[in-house]
Amino acid sequence: MKIMIVDDSSAMRMIVRKTLRLAGFEGHEFSESDDGQKALTAIKTSAPDLVLSDWNMPNMTGIELLEALTMDGIKVKFGFITTEATPDMRQRAAAAGASFLISKPFTAQSFKDILGVHIK
Amino acid sequence: MPGPVTTQHKPDKPPALRGFEHIRRFWNPRINCWTAKILPGEFFVTRSDEVISTILGSCIAACVRDPLLRVGGMNHFMLPEDQSTGKSSWLEGPNGLSTRYGSYAMESLINELIKLGADRGRMEVKLFGGAAILSAPTDVGARNIAFARGFLKLEGFRVAAEDVGLTCPRHVDYYPATGRAMLKRLPTLGVRAIITEEAKYSERLTREEPRDDVELFD
Repeated sequence: MKIMIVDDSSAMRMIVRKTLRLAGFEGHEFSESDDGQKALTAIKTSAPDLVLSDWNMPNMTGIELLEALTMDGIKVKFGFITTEATPDMRQRAAAAGASFLISKPFTAQSFKDILGVHIK
Repeated sequence: MPGPVTTQHKPDKPPALRGFEHIRRFWNPRINCWTAKILPGEFFVTRSDEVISTILGSCIAACVRDPLLRVGGMNHFMLPEDQSTGKSSWLEGPNGLSTRYGSYAMESLINELIKLGADRGRMEVKLFGGAAILSAPTDVGARNIAFARGFLKLEGFRVAAEDVGLTCPRHVDYYPATGRAMLKRLPTLGVRAIITEEAKYSERLTREEPRDDVELFD
């Protein structure tokens, strides 16, 4: 399956990929974007099966990305991996159609628990 | 005849940004500045003319600012102790992902600055700490330094100045508005308090694992 990781931190993108590997999710096709704006364009052309996105990013935040996708009628499974997770953010994420939210610093176990449902 | 006693103008306490109200701030007559004092595991960000201060043992403090906007901040972190053996790199300790705590500390600070309008490309970083202090089988300080340097390199940040390693604790006063950092190397004896504080912080990191949380919206 095609998984896109969206995060402005290259260290964090690498950590997400390593955590996925540690959680036993291998053999998937990964792509990366370093902000919401670039991800929006990339999602339109590459149609990933799952987007794992940070929240706070320059140019376009993760939630703006999800809202823009919905506005453009693009349906994609979308989950947040974020340092900040206030009740307001959780509510906005759920309302925008996100499937899940994982707060950092995350563990391989939480990836296993939550992504087992989404990554086949 | 002695002249009139002049008192240094003491400005009003600058407002704390949202989310940083819990950080202890006081008027520091030694440097004539409002000063935010951060402890292990904390970080502070400001757009005001104030100082961020901390005392470091084997922990690292990264001081990051956007010189154009004069906003900046400091964190104070260490990686949890990693007792397993095996292949280790700055990004991935032998037991997996202990460095995620460091990445979390760095990202939290950088994100808050971005929220204030700071630009990643303009950010200037100074790095302090990482002394060989805690009586641990491994050099925790060295591991913290390796992580911080590796992280910053991967993220494309330039380190403008650093004072790391050795065996001395350090006192740092950082002026985010100007980027000035005043560093004092402290004698190892006489700073038992910071060593105790760091040891407690290290224990807390190990014990608290895992402390992430997950919410399913479906």
